[in-house]
Order: sequence, then C-alpha cells, then structure tokens
Amino acid sequence: MIKIRNLHKKFNPGTANEVYALRGVDLDVCEGDFVTIIGTNGSGKSTLLNAVAGAFLPDEGSILIDDHEVTKKPDYKRAEYLARVFQNPFSGTASAISIAENLHIASLRGHKSYPKKGLNAARLQFYRDKVAVLEMQLEDRLNDTIGTLSGGQRQALSLLMAVINPPRVLLLDEHTAALDPKSAAQVIKLTKKFIEQGRLTTLMVTHSMQQALELGNRTIMMNKGQIIDDIGLDEKKQLTVDDLLNKFIQIRKQEQLTPELLAELKQMYA
Amino acid sequence: MELWIGALNLGFLYALMAMGIYITFRIHDFADITVDGSFTSGASVAAIIIVSGGHPAIALLGAFGAGLLAGTVTALIHTKLNINSLLAGILVMTGLYSINLHIMGRSNIPLLSEVTVFTQIARFNPGLPQEIWYTLVLTGCIIIGWWLVSLFFKTDLGIAMRVTGNNSTMAGAVGQNIKYLTLLGVALANGLVALSGSLVAQYQGFADIGMGIGTVVIGLASVIIGESIIKSRSVYWRFLSVIIGSVIFRFMIAFALYIGMNPIDLKLLTAIFVLLTLIVSKMIANKPVNRESSRKILGNLRKALLNRWSAAILIIVILVAGSFLKFNPGKSPSDIKIGLVQFTDNGLLNVTRDSFLEEIHKIGYIDKKNCRIYIENAQGEIPILNTIIDKFLRDDVNLILTISTSATQAAINKVKDRPVIFATVANPFIIGAGTSDSVHIANVTGVYGGVPMDRMLEMVNRFFPDRLRIGCIWDPSQANVVFNVDNLRRELRNYEHYQFEGANAVNSSEVYQAALSLVNKNIGAFVLPPDNIIYSAFDAVVRVADSRNIPIFISDVERLEDGALLALGYDYTSSGIQAAHIVDRVLKGTSPAQIPFEKYTKLTIGVNLNVARKIGIKVPQDVLKKATMMIGDNPTNGIATKRLALFQFSDHSMMEECARGVLDELTASGILKKNNIIVERKNAQNEFTLGQSIAQDIVRRKYDYIITLSTPALQIMAQVNKQIPHVFGAVTDPYRMGVARSPAEHLPQLTGVATMQPVEEGFKVMRKLLPHAKKVGMVWNPSEACSEACTMKAREAAREYGFELVEANVTSTSEVMDALNSVLDRGVDIFFTSGDNTVLIAIESIGEVLKKHKIPYFGNTPSDIYRGGLISVGADYYNVGREVARVMEKIIAGAEPKDIPIQDCVPVQIGVNLVLAQEIGLKLPESFLKRVAVIKRS
Repeated sequence: MIKIRNLHKKFNPGTANEVYALRGVDLDVCEGDFVTIIGTNGSGKSTLLNAVAGAFLPDEGSILIDDHEVTKKPDYKRAEYLARVFQNPFSGTASAISIAENLHIASLRGHKSYPKKGLNAARLQFYRDKVAVLEMQLEDRLNDTIGTLSGGQRQALSLLMAVINPPRVLLLDEHTAALDPKSAAQVIKLTKKFIEQGRLTTLMVTHSMQQALELGNRTIMMNKGQIIDDIGLDEKKQLTVDDLLNKFIQIRKQEQLTPELLAELKQMYA
Repeated sequence: MELWIGALNLGFLYALMAMGIYITFRIHDFADITVDGSFTSGASVAAIIIVSGGHPAIALLGAFGAGLLAGTVTALIHTKLNINSLLAGILVMTGLYSINLHIMGRSNIPLLSEVTVFTQIARFNPGLPQEIWYTLVLTGCIIIGWWLVSLFFKTDLGIAMRVTGNNSTMAGAVGQNIKYLTLLGVALANGLVALSGSLVAQYQGFADIGMGIGTVVIGLASVIIGESIIKSRSVYWRFLSVIIGSVIFRFMIAFALYIGMNPIDLKLLTAIFVLLTLIVSKMIANKPVNRESSRKILGNLRKALLNRWSAAILIIVILVAGSFLKFNPGKSPSDIKIGLVQFTDNGLLNVTRDSFLEEIHKIGYIDKKNCRIYIENAQGEIPILNTIIDKFLRDDVNLILTISTSATQAAINKVKDRPVIFATVANPFIIGAGTSDSVHIANVTGVYGGVPMDRMLEMVNRFFPDRLRIGCIWDPSQANVVFNVDNLRRELRNYEHYQFEGANAVNSSEVYQAALSLVNKNIGAFVLPPDNIIYSAFDAVVRVADSRNIPIFISDVERLEDGALLALGYDYTSSGIQAAHIVDRVLKGTSPAQIPFEKYTKLTIGVNLNVARKIGIKVPQDVLKKATMMIGDNPTNGIATKRLALFQFSDHSMMEECARGVLDELTASGILKKNNIIVERKNAQNEFTLGQSIAQDIVRRKYDYIITLSTPALQIMAQVNKQIPHVFGAVTDPYRMGVARSPAEHLPQLTGVATMQPVEEGFKVMRKLLPHAKKVGMVWNPSEACSEACTMKAREAAREYGFELVEANVTSTSEVMDALNSVLDRGVDIFFTSGDNTVLIAIESIGEVLKKHKIPYFGNTPSDIYRGGLISVGADYYNVGREVARVMEKIIAGAEPKDIPIQDCVPVQIGVNLVLAQEIGLKLPESFLKRVAVIKRS
C-alpha cells in the first residue's frame, strides 16, 4: 500500500538551524498493516509521517500510496488516499462549525464540494448513528459547535472523522499524547476498533513503548533520520518494554562509539 | 418620520455590504480593505451602464461582476504572491481609485433623470408614500438576500469555506484547496459590496468617487453591533445580526442629527455606541448559565436572546415614538423655516454662507425672531448630506439653501415638493438641474458661475503677449474643479501662442511635487482654478514659484496676499447676497420655476504689487486701472508706499493718549505724506498671545517702521523683530527689560523714550500741600517690575522730603483691601499708589475707604482722579507720544536707531479732583491750582 524509497529531507539547509531530518528512508507497508513507529526525540518519526501526509515536499526520494505517485502532490491533493489525526485535538476539528458539519466535511474528503445542501435529514441520522458508537453521549448535540467539547471528546471525533469515509491509509501522529490517561485509553480503544472494523492500513507514531508493543502487527524503530529496526508480529509478542528500552540504550552507546574512537580502542586493547 | 424611514432604507442597502465584510473578516479571517474601492466600483459600473441606456438589472449584474473581479485580484495577490492580506487589500483599493475614475470618466455621475432600479420599483407603487413603498420592497429583497446567502453557507461548498477560514490545517487535511476557497470567498464578498454600492448610488441619485471612503469601518461597526446583540452561532442568525447591525448603525446617525448633534461628532458617537454595545453584551454574557443539559442551554440562550431583542426593540420604539411626538416645544407653525446646508468647511463656502446670512438679516429675516434658519455642514461626507436633507424635510422647512455642487445634487434628488435654492455652484447643468438658465427643474433655482477663464486669460495675455507655457495643478476628483479646468483649456484654444501643462494632486502633500514637476517643464506662469487641496497647500506652490520667479494667477482673491501675482474671480460674497434675494422672492410667493438661474456678476481683480516687484514684473497700466484691489507699493508714484505699525498693548487711557500724541505729531510734521507712509494701528487687547501673533505678523509682512506703546508691547516686539527700525514709548524702565544697559548701549534695531513715573515730583507736591504730614502709606505688588522701580524711587523721595513710608505687599487684587486696612491701622496721613496694575484694579474701592478716613489719595496716572484719586502727579502721555513721533521722524529722515540714545521724557502733569478735595476738607492754594492741568469740578 505504501512504498517509500530513499527519502531525504533537510530543514533550513545552509543555515545555523539546519536539521537533516530524514536520511534515506526506505519503507514498504502492505495493505492491512498496522505499523507503530517509535524513536527518540528528533529521530524523524513525526517527519516521516508528515512526509507521507504531504505537509512538505521531500528533497529526494519517492512516495507511492496504493501505487499512485504522490511525491510532488500538496497535502489536499493526497487527501483522497489518506486521513490524518493530529496530536493537537484543536487541529483536527473546526471550532466555529457544528459537530454534524464537521463530520459532513470529513465525509466529503476526497470529493469536490458543490453548492448543494448535502447535509439533509438522512445524512444527519447517519451521523447520529456513527457518533453513538463513541459512547460519549454526543449524538444529541450534533448541532452544537465543537468549541464546547473537551480535548478527549474532540480527539475522539477527529478519529471518527478520519475513518467515516474509509481512507486507504490512516496516519495517527501521537494522537493520545495530549490527553489525560482516561481519555487516552478511550481513544486507543476506539482506534483499535475502527482499524479492525475497516481493516485500515495504519501508520501510528507513538511515544509510548507500551502502545507500540500492544498495538499493530509491526513496529519500526527510528533514530537520527533512519529506520534502524523493523520488528514483526512474532518478535513483538515476545518483547517487553524493558527489551525495547535496552535496544535504545545499545544504540546510544554505539553512537558514542565513533569510528575514530573505535580505532583508538582497538589500538589500545588489541 | 422621513428621517427614520430613510435610515431604515439606507440600513438595508448597506446591509449587503456588511454581509460581504462578514464573509471576509469573520468567515475567512481575511482582513479585506478592498471594499472601500469595490463599493465605489459597483456604483461606477452601474452608473455608466444606466447612463448609457442599459437596463437597471444589467447595471446590478455589472456591479456584482466588478466586485467579483476586484475581490479576485486581491485574493490572487495574497495566495499566489504570498502578500499579507491587509496589504493586498490596500493595494487593490488604491488602484481602484484610478480605475473607478476612468470608468466614470469624471468624479461624479448624476443619476437623477435616469431609469434606475428605484424608478422601476416606483412604477409598481400602489399608492403608498414613496419612501415607505421603498421600505417594503427593500425589506422583501433583503429577506431574500439573507436567505440566499445563509443557504449558500449551509451547502457543502459553504461549509468547506467556513472550515477553511476557521481551521486551515484541518481544511488541508480533509482535502480542501484553501487558496481556491479563499479566493471564492473574497470574490463573493466583494461582489456583494459592489452590489450594495450600486444600489446606494441609485438610491441617492448619483455615483461619486468619494462615496466608498470609510466603507470598511461602517461594515465592521455593523458586524460588531450585530454580534453583540445576537450571540447565536447559527449561520442564519449570524447574517441576520449583521443586517440588524447595519440598520441600527444608520439609526444612530439619524438619532444624532435628530437631537441636533454637530455632524463632526458623529464618528465619536459611533465609537461610543459600539463600545457601549460591547460592554452591555459582556455584562449579559457573564450571567451564570446552567449547563446541566443541552436543552437547558438552548433554553437559556433563547432567554438571553429575548432580553437583547426586547432591549433593541424598545430603543427603536422610543425613537420612532419620539419622532412622532416632536420633542421641540415652542415652534409656531407659521414660522418661516430655512434649511441651509454646505458640503464642507472650505473658505469659499463659508464666505457664501456668511454673506447670505448677513444679507438675509438685512432684508428682514431675523433668525429666532420671525424665522428659523437651520445651518448644517456635511463635513465632506455624502451619506451625512442625505441625512441632513432628511432632517430638514422632517423639520418641515419652507425651503432649502444648498451651498456647493454636491449639496445641491443631493437636494434636487430628494426634494421635489419645496424650493431648493443653490449658491456657489460651478455648473448646475452637469448635475441635471436644468438645460439652460430659464429651462430648469421647477422647484430649483439659484446662483452659479465658474471662473471666467476667458477674462483670466485676457489678463495673463496682458502680462505675456508672446509665447507662454501655462502650468495648472488640480484635484481630479472634484467635479467643480474639473469643470473650471476644462473651461480653461477650451479658452486656451483662442490663444495659439500659449501651451498648457497640467499636473494632478489628490491631497495637499502631493501639491509640492506637482508644482515642482510643472516648473521642471519650464512653465512661464501658474494659472490655478479654485481648489481646496491646492489652497490648503498654497505655500508650497508659492515656494516653488518664487524660486524661479514664476508668477501665479489665481481665482481666489483671499489668497492674493499669500504670494499670488494676480487674482481674478467672482466675489463669493455676491453669491450669498444674490441667493438671499432669490430666497426672499421665493418666500414672498414667486415660484422658483419663474426665476431663471443667475450668474455671479461682481468680478474682482486683485494685484499684488509686492510680488510684482519681487519677481521683477512690471504691471501694465491698464491692468492697474482695472484692478479693484491692490496690495503693496504703487510703482507709478516713484516712491514706494511704506507701512508703519503703531502697536499698543491695550486700550488703557495711558496708551490711547500716547497714540494720539504720536499721530498728531506725525501728521503735523507732514512726514507721512512726503514719504508716502501709511500708519496701521494694532491693539493686543491686553492679551499676551494676541500680542505675539500681531508681532509675528508685523515681522512676516515686512513693515517698514514700528512704534510700540507700553512695556509688554516692547518686550513682545523685541523678541521677534531684529531688523525693522523700532521706536518704543510709554515704557517706564527699558533697562530692566533687557533691551538696553544704558541710554547709549541698547539693541541696535530699537530706540525710544523712557518715561519714569515722576515719583519724586509727587512727593514734592505732597510736602508742599501737607507740610505737617508724617507717614505715607503704600500698597504694591513686588512681582510687577514697574511697580518695584517706583517703590525704590518712592523710598528715596520719602527720605528726601522727610516722610516715613509705610508699605504693604500684595500678590493679587483680592488681597488689596486687607493690605490697605493694615496700612491704615498703622496711622498714615497720605496714601500713595504708583502705576501698579494689581492695585489699580481696586482703585475705586480704595478711594471710598480713604474718603471715609479723610486721607488724601495721591496717584501716578492722570486718569486716577476720575476713579477715586484725589491728586495725580503723573506723566503727560500725550506729550510722550509726540516725543516718540519726533524720534521716529529722525529715523524716517535717515538716522539709524543704533545711533540714537534712549531718552528720558517725563512731562509732568498734575491732576486734581476738586470735588473730593472739598469733601475731605483739603484746602488747595491758588498757586498750586495754577499748575494743575486736569481738574475734576463736578
């Protein structure tokens, strides 16, 4: 479903703030894969997700989604293939518009909007049913504006909005990081449910090792703009959080061991 | 009633514009200033289509299209070039000014006699009053418009646009093309604004280049007022609130005029009202709302809405009821009422108004006695003009006098049932008032005239019979001005040896550049039509012209002194006077239809000889003969006319006497006639700031000689004048003033006559008349320099003549009586005051007290004896004046002030109040009485 080849991206090239975020990333994701992505700060995991979403254009490399070449397309043109849930609950919903209207616009993702009244009574009922699934008693408040909802409720809605028109790829960018534990748990539960129901190909960036291991059939570890480990379902089942942590510490140690230092050590102790 | 109906109609017409502003500012979060330009674009396009015979519906479509185009350009500049939205709007708005002028071809297109949307609507009137019929139709149209727009924003596309403006991150993520949707929104909004503009133009009867100015502010105010009143988030409610806000805004303006507020204060009132609305709405919002269930929320929302609605309705009801009740008491129905309206505050219009009022008063119409004259000024704003005329109609005036073309245009469009008299209009025909002087609209007549450019060019030709390039600067947005310039160019066709160079300036800061550009094209003379912008920056033109010795020919005679060579124009006072006579005829029963338009008759030709001398141009004899006024030297006399300024600080008798002496001496010696000198008297009315202005004016206008009377005048003059020969008089002690150290060492440009108070002489007389007196009492203010000097002398003199001086100080007049009593308590035989201003104010009261105590009161100033003093031993200021004149004569003859030492001149003059002397039982010897110059006998 997703084919990424040799992706490079430098931010602010040639200045003091230059960041080499993606250093040649290759990735193949099959249809139905639920991939969790973890990594240290600055490893490039969010950048990778943004690259797929089209928030910026890469310096080098190519991205294909469902065999469509999307590398040069702006974000709104890729929207017909993918849906996104942001980390910030306020980014994914429009506060001045009602819940029903938000869902409606989300359901139009990938289609052109025309000056015709699509939000009729039948659609409204359809949305009511969908919102009831969230179990947050929001189905009676469809005409209220989003501005009156809490962060957890908004994020749940954002998730619903992302899947209401089933996307080819679902991108989740640390979408529970800004929530309290209770809301986070609720949202994760919904996430699992929707992905299973729709058999959606998903890329989920997470900061939580626990989540990374529990969810999905594949986990990718990133460091310094590259993918350094790709763990399949069987291996995942046997790993614990500590194991993952140890892996990170290993890498840290390896980083401190530069080739020059290594040569020196070899000389000293050989 | 018309006032409120008019406000309601305007409110509806402007509501379309307000909805457009709502779409850009609130829905798209795009600060769009384009509207100031697109509003006018709509009006201009519609006007052009209508005037060419197009159907009004096409005009509306065209206007909408113009707005779409304007909005599209702004949006493209923002999205494609990534230029800030505010800046993009400003750029387009600025460009549209020129484009709109090109579309209209001129700055103003009258739609009075054309087929407009409103004439079409009027055709279907079943018999209601016209304005009310309009209101009904407009209400229907606005409801349709509101419904359509709200419905649009409920469609998929509309929701997409709302999301784009509210959360652009999300919009991109759900596949919306933000740039495209923003463009759509801004274009649509400006289309609505342009449509609004086209409707307003047809309603008020003309399209004008300036009608869009301030649109964005009006729109925002409407949106804000609406939002404070209705807090619902629903799209339908939101647009309704905007419409209501627009109507309320217009009501506010009408209300302000209704209570007689000066239109100047309208903007302040707008700000205050909007602020109050915001405060009240915050107060209501802070009431606790039960959030337990969503239904309860809706219920409370409805309650809050109801509160605000009821408040708003209550206010409107009060206003309308008030208009029916007519607050103003004491108006007798038989009173004649005249409404006078001028468009702006400019000099020519004011001159017309003032001369009209004077003349109408002379004819016999006395304001507030047998008639009422309402005077209003539209401060240059066309919507205010309309509201003023509505107000006049509501006040039921008998006729309306309009001053200036714009005011006339607005009036003839609105007022059909009573006379409209115009004055100071360049050309009434282009605004549709008639086709010739005698064939015109039945209820309209007046006085008009452009600048007689043919006569002007005749004059120019006398100065420059050969080839000449003429430079002209004007503001293309004023119809009057363009008319005059067109006339000038037309007349120029008769002068083949003349060339024309023109430059435009739309505000006063551009005038300097325009003048420079013309001078760089080697013009030989400026010919300027009457134009507010040019006149307000006239100094700039003079500066440029002076640097190359280029003469300026103008039509406003009041500007002659400021540096023009020749002024030729109609006398605007005669405009007002002629208008007054027409008004009289109409009020006495003649119908305006019978009165043909009158042209100004009095022509004024003014020549500034000083300018002629400065730039080296000889004024031809026949021009001099034709001139009705002249400034400066008359070259035919051989000797230049000189000016002497006689500057006194106040009316005080001392200065009046002195001035009399100066003038008598100057006239008697014949020196004025011989040297062709005219004396101009100046009086500062005892006010320091006025004195300063006068002194500065004297220096600026380069008078040839100066005489000052009194110490403050000397001080003020010495501060600003360093060149002009200056003789001072009626000054006690010039050495303390800092102008001199000794009689011979003084500032080089001045000299004069010092008149020390003859204090010693006074004490001598005291001793002579009262040989046994021992103590002399004195009250004085130490902060008065002259007074201090006198006191010093008094102390010396007292010692010399064997008196003991008993002193008391005061700092203000209120302390004088107490000080007097304290002195009297110490047992004095005589009381003395020098020329102390603080004490002299209370001289009558002092005199009363002293009379009771039978104590002789000696003063320093001759006039004291008329106000309570017994004996005055002072200086004879008349003779001081004559001495001052003698010094000035020396200077006129050729001496320089620096060579003339300051003189002391103290001609002693004794005055006696015989009546008072008798009352207190003082016997005065015959020998003494012989010396007395001034006697009060009765």
